[in-house]
Amino acid sequence: MTKKIICPRCESEHTDILTQSPVPGVWEVYHCEECFFAWRSTEPDFITDPAKYNPEFKLTREQLDQSGIMPAVPPLAKR
Amino acid sequence: MAYQDLRTYLEALDAEGQLIHITEAVLPEPDISAAACAITKFGDKTPALLFENIKGYTNARIAMNVHGSWCNHALMLGMPKDTPLREQFFEFVRRYQTYPGKVEERDSAPWEEVVIEDDINLFDILPLFRLNHGDAGFYIDKAAIVSRDITDWDNPATQNVGMYRLQVKGKNRIGIQPASAHDIALHLKKAEELGEDLPIAICIGNDPLINTVAAMPILYNQSEYAMAGALAQEAYPVITAKHTGLQVPWGSEIVLEGKILSRVREGEGPFGEFTGHYSGARRMPVIEITKVSHRRNPLYEHLYLGQPWTEVDYFIGINTSAPLHVQLKEAFPEVQAVNAMYTHGLVVIVSTKVRYGGFAKGVGMRVLTTPHGLGYAKVVIVVDETIDPFNLPQVMWALSTKFNPQYDLVTIPGLSILPLDPASDPAGMSPKLIIDATTPQAPEKHGHYSQELRDPVSTEAWVEKLRELMPKA
Repeated sequence: MTKKIICPRCESEHTDILTQSPVPGVWEVYHCEECFFAWRSTEPDFITDPAKYNPEFKLTREQLDQSGIMPAVPPLAKR
Repeated sequence: MAYQDLRTYLEALDAEGQLIHITEAVLPEPDISAAACAITKFGDKTPALLFENIKGYTNARIAMNVHGSWCNHALMLGMPKDTPLREQFFEFVRRYQTYPGKVEERDSAPWEEVVIEDDINLFDILPLFRLNHGDAGFYIDKAAIVSRDITDWDNPATQNVGMYRLQVKGKNRIGIQPASAHDIALHLKKAEELGEDLPIAICIGNDPLINTVAAMPILYNQSEYAMAGALAQEAYPVITAKHTGLQVPWGSEIVLEGKILSRVREGEGPFGEFTGHYSGARRMPVIEITKVSHRRNPLYEHLYLGQPWTEVDYFIGINTSAPLHVQLKEAFPEVQAVNAMYTHGLVVIVSTKVRYGGFAKGVGMRVLTTPHGLGYAKVVIVVDETIDPFNLPQVMWALSTKFNPQYDLVTIPGLSILPLDPASDPAGMSPKLIIDATTPQAPEKHGHYSQELRDPVSTEAWVEKLRELMPKA
């Protein structure tokens, strides 16, 4: 059983390995299915570690779902 | 002759001492963005950087700071690399006014060499990396993005080539920021009203001119390719991408084709923007990539942006100023030059002849109502025709002596501005300011300006004489 990968930004467990380095074993890229954050295993710990991630940039799925929409979705044209 | 692809331009930069090859092995983060930030600390003549050994990749190469100095800008235009900024500006304006230039449709392109349609993984194809620490992920920020109005498909004039930030969210899934004021947002709106996806082509690693045009505020019905032809002063080569039917640059390294999914919005951002601030996160459209084509061993190009000045400021300096200059001169031939190089024109400096009292404020009002000014110009400084708006010490002299806050300050409430301006409140709205730093003309009468200092009579002759006597470099 491998250790669960926690999203450093929203701390969700709904994460996955997105890709691995073309040269095997150098790095992996992960992404979060909740907040769409992506990160690489070789980045500094203030990017990869949920406890050290900059609090100013923490973001939850709930906050994202309440964020502005740009551009607005227009009404469907009447056919 | 203009450069038809990124490779030949990098060769030219190399020959002129304007390219540094970085052969040591670097990590994608933080090395590439740290080096690209560091090069901006060396002033306005810096070279481009080519990273040739990126840990984890076999053949990837990343070009940074390609547009990051006035030397590189001059070489892009085929001018000597030490051409003064003001001369580059007026040559850019001259070529801009030869629009439309020629566009040459070709049958095949180097970027068709390798084609991937199944199991697309953008991370294997592109050496993606995080640019700034607070970015939501791995962005593509220097792509020429092509779209058309699906209700007017055969009209090449309204085909758009623009530059919008792209957040790579999955192996073939990308978030895009089509701000409402931008041309692509019009195309998306028309497609979404019909419930249709919008075909899109994302072109990466381009000749330097089409990227300059893609980031330039030209009119909706002007063709970016015809503008590139005008700026190149020769036919601009394009090819029709077979998968989407969109015209794309012949010289691109990588072309991603796909569609913006109709009526879908999904979390995107933050991303460190040209304002020197992060954008915050919003819900934005999503692209699905269905075909990738590229040259063998493609070059990946990326734009560095940080707290100004960095590459982005050189990249959107002259190409923002030139259209404003031409549009202002159409209304007021008295205008001499326009400097809109500060944060894409959030600050605009206009040099003009002043016909009568109040005239300069009128010129300032016109800046606010140009298409680009509506979304950007927040502070307009108007100076006399004798002031070079590209010479900030001269502009500061005008501000410090010609400007009287009681008479020369106009604030207009409730105007529009790009939502990325961190000062806007609510995002997208702002008051705007005109500062009249010209010498008062009748019937306006305030201050004491009849005794302005002038150069001694033979100064110009002495400039030439001393130029000859200066120690040669």
